[in-house]
Amino acid sequence: MAGLDDTVAGPGIAARAGHILARWGLVITLLIAWELATQTRLFTPFMLPSPERVFGRIWSDGQGGDLFINAGLTLYRALTGFFIAAALGLLIGMAMTRGGVLGWFFDPIISVGFPMPKITFLPVIVLWLGFYDTAKISMVVFDAIFPVITGTILGIKSVEKELIWSARSLGSGEREIWPQIVLPAAMPQMFTGLQVSLPIAMIVAVVAEMLMGGYGMGGAMVQASRMADSPGVFAGIIEIAVVGWFLVKGMALLRRKLLAWHPESDMPTGV
Amino acid sequence: MTTISIDRVRHLYRPARGRPVLALEDVSLEVRDKEFLALLGPSGCGKSTLLYLMGGFLPVEIGSISIDGKPIAGPGPERGVVFQHFALFPWKTVRQNVLYGLERKGLPRDEREATAKKFIDLVGLSGFEDNYPSQLSGGMKQRAAIARTLAVDPAVLLMDEPFGALDAQTRALMQAELLNIWRASPKTVVFVTHDVQEAVYLAGRVVVMSARPGKVKAIVDTDFDKTAPDVLRSPKFGDMADHIWGLVKEEAIKAQMGRGV
Repeated sequence: MAGLDDTVAGPGIAARAGHILARWGLVITLLIAWELATQTRLFTPFMLPSPERVFGRIWSDGQGGDLFINAGLTLYRALTGFFIAAALGLLIGMAMTRGGVLGWFFDPIISVGFPMPKITFLPVIVLWLGFYDTAKISMVVFDAIFPVITGTILGIKSVEKELIWSARSLGSGEREIWPQIVLPAAMPQMFTGLQVSLPIAMIVAVVAEMLMGGYGMGGAMVQASRMADSPGVFAGIIEIAVVGWFLVKGMALLRRKLLAWHPESDMPTGV
Repeated sequence: MTTISIDRVRHLYRPARGRPVLALEDVSLEVRDKEFLALLGPSGCGKSTLLYLMGGFLPVEIGSISIDGKPIAGPGPERGVVFQHFALFPWKTVRQNVLYGLERKGLPRDEREATAKKFIDLVGLSGFEDNYPSQLSGGMKQRAAIARTLAVDPAVLLMDEPFGALDAQTRALMQAELLNIWRASPKTVVFVTHDVQEAVYLAGRVVVMSARPGKVKAIVDTDFDKTAPDVLRSPKFGDMADHIWGLVKEEAIKAQMGRGV
């Protein structure tokens, strides 16, 4: 009876320290290796600036406010795109499982579009929508919507028929089945689709900023690179990594809250 | 009074790919009021299919199945079902699962809660009301599923190898408890199994089905006093199980040959 008996004593301080070390060990090792690589002059400070300089740069970006403006703009584009993709993707996915004209229309588009690099449409989007937020967000939506659609379809199609039969023989009408049984049963896979889609939204927002210019974390990095500002480039990488980590972690925590009943929600929050 | 009349039912199983298979051929059977009837046969003999037809989950295309003279049209709360893999709603706790059918009935809240509690107690799950199915063992899941089905008080109980996924000890316990529950408030039960002992122990009549296509091969009366604690080791039980095993064995061999094993 796993999960019923949680009376095991909490781990000791040593064990807890070991756990934290195991978790952050790789990050610490990389930082030490980075420091050593710069100290031993294996790389020139231009090719690989020292951790002090890069973290100093992040600190000053933060003090000057640039960090927050850029991160805020990138997050705004990524999250707006993500929420539009989530809403549209769930609707399209649900509609497609009902067959009919929508299934006939969207099925080939999904099959061809999913494996395709959506960024190839960037020039078209620039032609149609320009360089500003509408174009960047559209690019995000276009890329992030596919995992949501496929997750929704997979979730709905894999609902066990015994669940529906049980509900019907407990007195449910045909119309109650969809909201009461199919959607909650499909939730875990729908949510997995969203969890895949969110980092894609972040990636595409940064790439779109890099290619289209302007403010934002991607734009700032390209700008720094053009100015041969190597600490600025490396600071950008770390800033983007940290923001992305918070997004993914937040999604995993949300899953644990919303889908407490689902055994996989108890798994570690790493992707 | 609740009787089920199955009259010359044929059923074609149509797989997504490949040729349709004749699963049931001219099955006729009368399920009597408040009897415990077992459908016994080798795997693939169509016994589950017959149960799903009675449940209204599959359409009756040739022949007819009626309950108290009314032909079956889809599933309904007067026919409760218990599946081998429980089919509990995983996003609901034990209590919420049991309440689901009661909510569909439109009972007042107090009455729903009281009924749910009564049936959770009956199957011995008190203290686990707020657990999700994923936090329960197989036996406890099936207890919850039985409570959920009994709570809506169906006239007919359709059980599809309900103890097939449980370990031997749990199965023996659950069989005895099911029999006690049924003796306390008899219902018309159709119980699908491939376990001869289980069929003889639980049922008053055992319907032995032939290998595919499924037909009724024999109906054996197994209604004798089974309240003695060592009934499973009594000569009468042994003889009856032997007799039925003889009937099933031929079909099991046929089923194996048909599969080219």
